[in-house]
Amino acid sequence: MSLLELKNVSKIYGDLKALDNVSIHVDKGEWVAIMGPSGSGKSTMMNIIGCMDKPTSGEVLLDGVDISKESSKRLTDIRRDKIGLIFQQFHMVNYLTAVENVMVSQYYHSMPDEQEALEALGRVGLRERARHLPSQLSGGEQQRVCVARALINHPELILADEPTGNLDEANENIVLDLFAQLHKEGTTLIVVTHDPEVAEAAQRTIVLEHGKVAREVINENFGK
Amino acid sequence: MTKRRMFLRMITASLLRRRSRMLIALLSIGIGATILAGLVTIYVDVPRQMGAQFRSYGANMLLLPKEGGALNPDTLEEALAVLPENELVGAAPYRYVRLDMTSRQQSFTAAGTDFSQIVKTSPYFSVEGNYPENTREVLVGKEIADTIGVRVGSSMELTYQPTAAASDRTPEESRVPGATLSGSAEGFGGGIVYVTATLDDEAKIASLAVDASTQTAEYGGRIPEDEAYLSQFAGKALPIESGDVDALTGATVTSSAVVEALNKATAAAAPVQPKTMNFAVTGILTTGGEEESYVFLSLQDMETMTGSDQLDVAELSVSASADQLAEYVEAISASGENVQARLVKRVTRSEAAVLSKLQALVFLVTAVVLLLTMICVSTTMMAVVSERRREIGLRKALGASDGSIRAEFLGEGLFLGLLGGVMGALLGFVFAQVVSVNVFGSSITFQPLLLPAAVIVSMAVAAVSCLAPIKRAVAIDPAIVLKGE
Repeated sequence: MSLLELKNVSKIYGDLKALDNVSIHVDKGEWVAIMGPSGSGKSTMMNIIGCMDKPTSGEVLLDGVDISKESSKRLTDIRRDKIGLIFQQFHMVNYLTAVENVMVSQYYHSMPDEQEALEALGRVGLRERARHLPSQLSGGEQQRVCVARALINHPELILADEPTGNLDEANENIVLDLFAQLHKEGTTLIVVTHDPEVAEAAQRTIVLEHGKVAREVINENFGK
Repeated sequence: MTKRRMFLRMITASLLRRRSRMLIALLSIGIGATILAGLVTIYVDVPRQMGAQFRSYGANMLLLPKEGGALNPDTLEEALAVLPENELVGAAPYRYVRLDMTSRQQSFTAAGTDFSQIVKTSPYFSVEGNYPENTREVLVGKEIADTIGVRVGSSMELTYQPTAAASDRTPEESRVPGATLSGSAEGFGGGIVYVTATLDDEAKIASLAVDASTQTAEYGGRIPEDEAYLSQFAGKALPIESGDVDALTGATVTSSAVVEALNKATAAAAPVQPKTMNFAVTGILTTGGEEESYVFLSLQDMETMTGSDQLDVAELSVSASADQLAEYVEAISASGENVQARLVKRVTRSEAAVLSKLQALVFLVTAVVLLLTMICVSTTMMAVVSERRREIGLRKALGASDGSIRAEFLGEGLFLGLLGGVMGALLGFVFAQVVSVNVFGSSITFQPLLLPAAVIVSMAVAAVSCLAPIKRAVAIDPAIVLKGE
């Protein structure tokens, strides 16, 4: 059963076709990597899936709903309810502590619950660092806070844009392990990356080139 | 945790943990609020302040006796009770009489007054020496002092020569034991008949003399010698009823004139002896006005000399606006039968004109400061929004609606307004105090209403200043500001 389906999606900026008639689908519970060099349309696809942009043409079905023509207000609601976002540059509110950053996500979604937020930080191994400000955390720790923040509202889909792009090897592995855990629990993961190692951790890799799907690769070694 | 608590936590964290930037915003609001609160305090206080200043130019209200009423220390006190105690700067009573200085064959206008009040109502009086503090002391106007050559420390003998006033007692009041009554009435042919009667210990007629020289000699003119007729009156009480005495035959008109004159007769006023007292000169008064030709003495001495505590006028110095003064004048004049109030228009008008100009000036400066504060806060908040573009984008990516973003920035703005307002109210009071002490030379009282007013105004200013920055914040596109690389 597919959670996400893009049908003939194009995004055109002037003369530039960032996405050119792309069709993909992602099943519920699947872990998919989207790969491609710079300018291949990864970010555009990420923004469209993340309800932060709309395609020029085509349909985007998220959980059976076509989001390609929704108002930006509706898109905000859908993003809040269904999607957990993780960014390359972490993006934390720099004057809030780790636990408060997680709670911000709860605040916009439903109700802030400090206990729950602390548990989420526990899951990413940062229970002890909950009261630290972002400036007091390492890059890896910040990204783990962002993972906790992305999963706190139990989203249908976690959408990560180059989540390990600014991390060292050790932290990259920690984050990928966290993804693996989330995957086991049934969370759908879409990871946009240009790092083959990160892509290989996923079940399936969709490779974009010049705004088109160049190929799809099933990871034979997944789970091994 | 409720959403509201999280909201407050985020806002306070934003302000407390991003101190340097927020300090600038807080300072701009705080300084604006300080100047505003200060100016408003001065604005409110200026009438009082200037009122007090103006009061050094002399009295602005006069109390006079109403027609048929009496101004004396008691009725004066009643009238003064109408005025709020804190607005009455001073009330100087005056009684003017002529006093003679027999040794120099001079006579002057003397004013009985209360020197402790003169100091308040006429602060511009310049005294060489001192104001009298005791009885038997006088303050002499410069002009008199020069004319008669007295100096501080001299003594002068003053005499009060009462004018023989006609008796103002009624016939009824006059009929006391031992009194001598005199009266007159129109007799035959329009001639006046005069009677003089003395009363015995029971206030009954003891003796009676009649002057009927205007009457016909053979008829009415006989009455003064007619013992039989006159003896009828002995032992009778006044007034005499028409049937009580028999008219003299052939002189009925004159007879009834005698009865009428008796019934109308009043006691002659007791002659008042001239009163002479010796005074020590404690000071010479220079005012540049007519006061220099007066001699001032205490009300007690005045009463001792004249035997009356009546006053001619009281000069009041009241620290109030022109409108209020007009109300007080009405209130005093309506308060009783004795005293009426009048404004010294020359003083009150110029006061009102200066005040309105001063207030207009303060108002203008306040408006400019308000505008500058708004621009300053708006600019700072605009910088804050630019600085926090990523954070705003992140919040939107996390699902913040435009309304949430607005609420958060407005919340921060209002919180700044609150802090700035409290700061402004307190510092503003200090500011106003400093201005007041340096410019007006007097301190001001803290207006409790200033605190909520300053807070509300600075919150409103902060909110208005946040409108444009908030608009910019809402327009931020998360996809653009959050982009990697």
